[in-house]
Amino acid sequence: MTAVTDRQKLQYIAARAADARVNVELETEGMTLNIGPQHPATHGTLRIVARLDGEQVIAAEPVAGYMHRGYEKLAEVRTYAQITTLVNRIDWLGSFANEVPFILAAERLMEVEAPPRATWIRTILFEMSRIANIILFLGDMGVQLGAITPVFFAFRDREYVLDQIERVTGGRFHPNFDRIGGLKDDLPKGWLADTAQVMEKVRTFCDEIEDLLMGSEVFQQRTRGIGIIPPDVALQYGLSGANARASGIDWDLRRDGCVGLAYPEVDWKVWTHPDGDSFARFWVRLQEVREATRIIDQLVEGVPSGPIMAKVPRIIKVPAGEAWVSTENPLGEMGYYVVSQGDLTPFRLKIRSASFNNISITPWLLRGVYVPDIVTILASLYFILGDIDR
Amino acid sequence: MPDKPSFPKPQLPGVLKGLGVTLRTAKETMFPDGLLRPPAPSRGAATVQYPHEKEEPAPRARGVITLVEDNCTACMLCARECPDWCIYIEAHKTLAPPRREGGKPRQVNALDRFDIDYSLCMYCGICVEVCPFEALFWSPEYEYSEPRIADLLHDKERLGEWFETVPDFETLEAGSEVKVKKVPR
Repeated sequence: MTAVTDRQKLQYIAARAADARVNVELETEGMTLNIGPQHPATHGTLRIVARLDGEQVIAAEPVAGYMHRGYEKLAEVRTYAQITTLVNRIDWLGSFANEVPFILAAERLMEVEAPPRATWIRTILFEMSRIANIILFLGDMGVQLGAITPVFFAFRDREYVLDQIERVTGGRFHPNFDRIGGLKDDLPKGWLADTAQVMEKVRTFCDEIEDLLMGSEVFQQRTRGIGIIPPDVALQYGLSGANARASGIDWDLRRDGCVGLAYPEVDWKVWTHPDGDSFARFWVRLQEVREATRIIDQLVEGVPSGPIMAKVPRIIKVPAGEAWVSTENPLGEMGYYVVSQGDLTPFRLKIRSASFNNISITPWLLRGVYVPDIVTILASLYFILGDIDR
Repeated sequence: MPDKPSFPKPQLPGVLKGLGVTLRTAKETMFPDGLLRPPAPSRGAATVQYPHEKEEPAPRARGVITLVEDNCTACMLCARECPDWCIYIEAHKTLAPPRREGGKPRQVNALDRFDIDYSLCMYCGICVEVCPFEALFWSPEYEYSEPRIADLLHDKERLGEWFETVPDFETLEAGSEVKVKKVPR
């Protein structure tokens, strides 16, 4: 691991030395490049101020906050049902996963537990939102490198997953389906059988993407050894999710800190990759989609029968107290810290979303890379702007 | 140490393999019946030609909220629970004929105004859920965009028209203990 970083450092020093030699004859001066806030390569309104020397980045700084919506403050004047609607819109590609930790935190304060059937359906929908989210990453990574085809395949096959989510929840992007104590409604007839078929399609998509992108020499040239994050740096910057696992950190909250979801009942594996470069991040996410289809297949087989709602009062007043629950969301660790004073609304809600921490590493990571690699590195870090700015 | 993925040396260059995937998909899209049959991209494609062909939305899809005016008692629960207060209700008290022969006339609330501003609506469905009198329903209808934003304010007559499009609630998966409600028609 360290050998690669040393090589990266040496390359950088050598490049600077070569530049210095040229500078004797050719006077070059730095230039500031604003990438964003409106730029197709930044997936939203993330602005990156890069200080360039020729084609090389000397310093880069992400400027977030162009889409800040103030959810933490809004939540203080909204009831728990209304907050579930709001938090749907944090990571809009995997919306159902945003509701789960919030509801679990509120359930912990109210000391209710969802019945097993609700827990299993929650886990299925949680994994489906992970697939819907990461499928788009797998296609989008190709677009950032100049390959247009993968993203069309991704949109096509994500639609099957979103259709399944819509059939249960009524919303493709904003399910608003989780309730304190269970779920809003039960599954419609025939849904479980169709889900197993959709998972088959998702696995075909994974094979296609592997043939289309991962095997491609161009793709490997652009991603292997680019944007390397060593595990110690990843830990210092608080990376989580697939970004951390691609650096060889064997940490997954589904396995290591699972609360209120059905993961311990299933046989599955956490994928890690020791390299920590853009390619490793892509590879880990691809394996995670495959693993998620395996998890769903097993869950679909054995959904227990029973009620989907525990006994909760009609008007929800959460007793005074504090609770922190975090889950492994598609983008990484997402957690809610709910402080309640016994009112209809939480007194304070702290949202820890994964993307904010994941992009905080960009000043370290982009130092010394070339301009075309900025885009691929940002794409491989995979952030959702709503998740950064909240 | 986690296991590192091993890549066997590819038989043919990866770029060509990728092109093969693209070509195969193109073939399946253009010639879903095989190469010797005439091309039929309208069947092979994953998309539909929207204004001419329409996809059926899921019965539970949250398309538009519809109002059954007779069931509404103007209790204002929906207006209060709405996250962005886009429901406007006005009502007056009136006397309705007695339910039984010889009874006293009942005092009921008659709706003067029930508007939903769809330019503000977040489609969360809280109003439909909190309604205790089964006056609000979801319909999967989606074609009501307007050139003027003010026209997205639907009054109670327009909301009532959507009621014809409300589908019956689906039967549920095996093992469920939830009672399937009926749409009052």
